[in-house]
Amino acid sequence: MHTMAWVGWVMLVMVVALTTTNPYYLGIVLLSVLLVAVLAPKTATGVASFRTLFIFGVSMLVISVAISVINGSYGSHELFTIPGPQLPWWFGGLRLGGPVSAEGLVAALTRGLAILSVLLAFGVFNGAVSPHRVLRTAPAAVFQAGLIVTVGLTLLPSSIEDVRRIREMRALRGARGGLRQLPALVVPAVIGGLERSMRLAEAMEARGYGASPPAQRLPRLVGMTSAPLLLAAACGWFYYEPLRLPATIAAGLGLAAIGWWMASSARSRHTTSLNVEPFSLADRVLASASLGLAALTLGLALAGWSSLKYNPFAGLAWPPFGATGAILPLVTAWPAFRLLFSSPPEVAPVRLSPQVLER
Amino acid sequence: MIATVRGLTYRYPGADSPALRNVSLDVDEGAFLLLAGPSAGGKSTLLRLFNGLIPQFHGGQISGEMRVGELDPARTPTRQMARIAGMVFQEPEAQSVADTVEEEIAFGMEQHGVPAPEMRRRVEALLASLRIEHLRVRTLATLSGGERQRVAIAAVLALQPRLLLLDEPTSQLDPAGADAVIDAIRGLHSAGELAVLVAEHRLERLLPLVTGVLGVQGGIVSEYGAREAAARLGAVPPVCEIGRRLKLTPVPLTVAEALTALQGRTLHVGTHPYPPAPGAELLKVDGLSVTYGELVALREATFSLHEGEVIALIGPNGSGKTTLFRAIAGLIRQARGTVLFGGAAAPAGVAERTAFAGLVPQDPAIALYHESVRDELAETLRNRRSKTSIDNSLKRWNLASLGSRHPRDLSVGQQQRVAIGAMLAHEPGVWLLDEPTRGADSVAKAWLADALHRHAEAGGAAIVATHDIESAARYATRVIALDEGVISHDLPMRVAFGSGGLSPTQAARLLPGAVLPEEVEA
Repeated sequence: MHTMAWVGWVMLVMVVALTTTNPYYLGIVLLSVLLVAVLAPKTATGVASFRTLFIFGVSMLVISVAISVINGSYGSHELFTIPGPQLPWWFGGLRLGGPVSAEGLVAALTRGLAILSVLLAFGVFNGAVSPHRVLRTAPAAVFQAGLIVTVGLTLLPSSIEDVRRIREMRALRGARGGLRQLPALVVPAVIGGLERSMRLAEAMEARGYGASPPAQRLPRLVGMTSAPLLLAAACGWFYYEPLRLPATIAAGLGLAAIGWWMASSARSRHTTSLNVEPFSLADRVLASASLGLAALTLGLALAGWSSLKYNPFAGLAWPPFGATGAILPLVTAWPAFRLLFSSPPEVAPVRLSPQVLER
Repeated sequence: MIATVRGLTYRYPGADSPALRNVSLDVDEGAFLLLAGPSAGGKSTLLRLFNGLIPQFHGGQISGEMRVGELDPARTPTRQMARIAGMVFQEPEAQSVADTVEEEIAFGMEQHGVPAPEMRRRVEALLASLRIEHLRVRTLATLSGGERQRVAIAAVLALQPRLLLLDEPTSQLDPAGADAVIDAIRGLHSAGELAVLVAEHRLERLLPLVTGVLGVQGGIVSEYGAREAAARLGAVPPVCEIGRRLKLTPVPLTVAEALTALQGRTLHVGTHPYPPAPGAELLKVDGLSVTYGELVALREATFSLHEGEVIALIGPNGSGKTTLFRAIAGLIRQARGTVLFGGAAAPAGVAERTAFAGLVPQDPAIALYHESVRDELAETLRNRRSKTSIDNSLKRWNLASLGSRHPRDLSVGQQQRVAIGAMLAHEPGVWLLDEPTRGADSVAKAWLADALHRHAEAGGAAIVATHDIESAARYATRVIALDEGVISHDLPMRVAFGSGGLSPTQAARLLPGAVLPEEVEA
């Protein structure tokens, strides 16, 4: 599957998961991501980070629920009450303890499910597509961002490996495990990761990354005007109902400015490619359909129209479930079918040498 | 003339004293220069001047004049300098971007917009000249260190630079990998006009090949011819040391040269202490096997270690040295076989096992995280409930003067010493050291040999995995060789490193019966 097709899929999952609050539909998204995870190629080095992202996602879910318990929550279905101080009004309505309602728990759970789905989709992407492929498909205009993304994607798996090694070394020093040891694990891993990213960035610079001439001044200036335009559009859309039309126009102008900047950078930054990654018709269609669908879903959600909403605070009724509503979450499983009906992976899976295993 | 430097002084941001002082030198077309000198002496800094990483990437203050191929590297973006000066770094893993060998070699050319047919032609030529055609479509993650390093060299040469800069390219490799890389560099140099600058600690392979030496110490650069360097540098290969002591002129650079120069002279083997008879058994490994899936990493390893013994564990990368250590320390759950500590079965937990047999893994410095060296040692002493006072412990590891320093501010050699101290502060009877001299300079090696001597004299024992035969000959009493997970040899050190042994030292190749350079007497 082409890198752009994967990018399209991750975007789609992100938008669908984050605009959906109906737990049924979120469950479908999560299952779709898991199905894709099983079938996706695991050739990139980032495959090691899937497990960690899974653990991280589950902990986010638990933390989300825990915070809603500590904060207490409003709602008519009170489960139990946690004693807590009455905070003064200038805390901005923050509560500690108090009654815990079933509504609050359900809301926290749906939030956690959405985050978990997005993290897992990112994990699948990381395992299927190597940082180098991402770098090659990144638009020429954002080559600095490309450097940062490459360094980041390369370092995630190696930082996870570092944490494992540091944990071992701490055991070799006679340290006991436990949560109190967390800083001792995280601090050296972060410092080591930063040092390594500096070395990789240095090596990429020395190898001539971004050597072709940068875009001219005018496209860069036009590109820069997109930021205030988009900000103004967002303010207009959300805060002043009557300004929605001008806000839409401003958003269109901002996006056009970005588009022109990218196109003209791509023309002036002349890079070549030794092997061109095959971009089949099927992948082109799927990538653009995913991106289009993501944009449409986002637009509809912004306009306040979404069938995938569920508000537990409205009496905690069973969330609605309909076949039409389930279509969009089901569509996020498309890479599974694409992978089932395609030829076996082009690249042989990573076989670790004895040296790698020894470490 | 490809590069000139005139009166150049450089100071890193926030540093008190300059890293390079008043450097002036010329690099001719076709020059092959070796940068030699202790760690943190300025070798890497000097190399990074030529492609502008210093000062552009690292910042700092620079004064003086510099030209590399008509360009000023301090003002030309480094990514453009890549067309004139290509740089290969120490760790192969930290410099690769692409997934496969071909793509890695093409990366720089793609960035410079070289047309695809031309790219294809250059990739083929480089694969051939570095003799890595068979690796063409391999994934980088599956290559050995020596193979990866040759791919890295091919990748920078793809832009057809006139100057090749190599920053300790073999320090992370095993002897076979290092030889392959040095052969490749020699082939490139003899093929044409390319000027090569290489920083290295292990001089014995390079000294006979280079056209000149730049001694870099304390930020001061001195230019020597190869012969002059052999006569004057602080740390030289054993054969040069012997040549100096026997007053040979010129000082020989290879064993063959020394043999010719010494023809007709009678040499005899000087007195050398034999290691004392080993004491009681401290560690016994019996039928220890480890398999990872289908790969047998260690097969039926059996040996024992006694008080006063220091074993050098040798063998190529991937032969099972690290696996053996990890199995003894209890880090590998699926290990089969028995490990006995002082005749009794070893306990199960890692912390309990390493209380008796302390393991210092590779790159232990990554586990340092305290604010000061003192706190690092104190933590281990506390964990181990040791009665040793922190001040005694600092003295023991020669760290008393560094006690209040931040571990991250120290040189690599000092960090390594802190890490060894932190792993072994509780003074376990058995030390297991995994490649402790990798990338170390002669000062660090001498300190380690001394520490091992004192440990053995006090009734301790150690196993040291190493590729560095010359320095192992200074501390080992016994040698165990591993080959594809099997113990192939278990010999006394003087047999293994002596003439006709497994890997004779330079002194042994010069004079049968000798092992260390000072044992060769006229």
